[in-house]
Amino acid sequence: MRPIMVMAPLLAAAMLSACVGGNGTSAASVAPPMPQNTLAVTVDAGPPAASGGPPIGAINHAYVTVKVCVPGSQTECASIDHVLLDTGSVGLRLVRSVLAAHAVTLGAETDAQGRAIGECMSFAGGQTWGPVALADVTMAGESAGKLPVQVMDDRTVPSPAPPATCGANGTLINGVSGFNANGVLGLGVFAQDCGQLCVGAATPQAVYYGCTAAGVCTAENVILTDQVTNPVTLFAADNNGIIVNLPNLKNANGDATVQGELIFGIATQTNNGLPATGLTVLGTDSSGDFKATYYTSTTVLPALIDSGTDSYAFNDPALTVCSSGSFIGYYCPVGAPLSRSAVNTGVGANNATSTVNFAIEDPTTFVANATAFTGLAGGPGSSRFIWGMPFFYGRQVYVGIEARVAGIYTGPYYAY
Amino acid sequence: MNFHSVTRNLLFAVLGVNALWVGCAHAALGGDAASVPADAAELHGAVNTEIRQQYDLQEISGEGGMRVREYLGRDGVVFAVSWSGPVLPDLQRLLGTHFAEYSAALKALTHPGLQRSVRVASSELVVESGGHMRSYAGRAYLPALIPAGVSAAEIL
Repeated sequence: MRPIMVMAPLLAAAMLSACVGGNGTSAASVAPPMPQNTLAVTVDAGPPAASGGPPIGAINHAYVTVKVCVPGSQTECASIDHVLLDTGSVGLRLVRSVLAAHAVTLGAETDAQGRAIGECMSFAGGQTWGPVALADVTMAGESAGKLPVQVMDDRTVPSPAPPATCGANGTLINGVSGFNANGVLGLGVFAQDCGQLCVGAATPQAVYYGCTAAGVCTAENVILTDQVTNPVTLFAADNNGIIVNLPNLKNANGDATVQGELIFGIATQTNNGLPATGLTVLGTDSSGDFKATYYTSTTVLPALIDSGTDSYAFNDPALTVCSSGSFIGYYCPVGAPLSRSAVNTGVGANNATSTVNFAIEDPTTFVANATAFTGLAGGPGSSRFIWGMPFFYGRQVYVGIEARVAGIYTGPYYAY
Repeated sequence: MNFHSVTRNLLFAVLGVNALWVGCAHAALGGDAASVPADAAELHGAVNTEIRQQYDLQEISGEGGMRVREYLGRDGVVFAVSWSGPVLPDLQRLLGTHFAEYSAALKALTHPGLQRSVRVASSELVVESGGHMRSYAGRAYLPALIPAGVSAAEIL
């Protein structure tokens, strides 16, 4: 080994001088070029539920394309389209069958005992199960090497099998139809999905598991660097947060598609600066929520700005809930559009207060083939306030990662 | 909240009651009082009981801020449960025999996908569940079994 280690710096130096060439510029005086930090975001009908089939029929889903490689490989790679951009979760989760269709196999991370690490992640609509694996992930010109991601095992019989408490009775949502997406790109306010809670619990939380070769999985604590991780935090630059930039919609009854952008970094380049005035910065608590009060209610609710939710989601017993059609369970307000508002308040140092007005449309008036709707509201029975996708149209939304600094602001925060 | 009367700690649950109930009492919602210590053991939590006029409110406090409440009617039946905490508790355990109806309703959602708030409601069962990693909350109740004069708004 020793001769190679000695040679490596010499080789690198030789290559570097070859690259600089004969134009007289010394490598030392030129700042490295800033990475291309803009990724296209598309709102459309989503991926096909099955290969070659029609789009799944998603609404208000913001998608990006993510390049995934087996660590260290230049060839075992796949560009996965229709990955859901989710500012309300943390970490990249990819559907196993989609990776398999690209012939990409990501091996499971192992714990200190050599057991494969698996994860059970809970969403309100169900749970995901599958191994935590390492991948080299590239988005635009930004790369996160050896990123812990979750591979959602959508085989009929997952292996290893999920623990009894994970996804019981058909509530596993590992497949493309579970998320209306080929994966979920969680770019929320934290660096890891679970954090300290899953590092030092006296009784390990039912989140991370160590799985034996025989497929027996037991809940265990997992160190932070092995947890499913926000890819932005592993970028060499532009690693303090993101900006989601979507245009206003053209039609109140729905647009066919929307094009926007995801910008990596906050106040790191010329295209992601903090505005001098007018920015509302809402710090979150240790759960990732700021506070909101809705309309005439005085109840203080946990709140977040969440591109993974397709609507403004909150409880209002005064609103009619759709009982038929394709929006059952959402609000079908009488006399739409209704004007409503909520007051957001940040937690901690970033304690801004901001009143946001919004309109609620009647989804029974929505155009059938549209995929983007600005006035969609739902969430009856919810004990929180979620600024879902409609909030993003016509705004720049900033997500600042915990403990990362951007200008005068330190995460975690949401801002607009 | 003003809890009083009965306080059982984790040690008691593990040493005294756990062995009797774990494995035989899996129902919570719709089940009997036996489900409370069983769930406490599952959560490795302490139980506080607040005796209200028409029901007992049994609160289990677990690690990391996990909290489960079970509403026990005078007929000895758990008519409601609620939860909040950094992880989603085992809803199969908390909803007991009603979990099947809940899971079937989830699959029937018109726009499934990633959800941070779901509500399932029938004349027999109401489940409201929401949240995200590090912050989940929800409740479930059996409308027909709520004691007369008690509002569903008391189930928090």
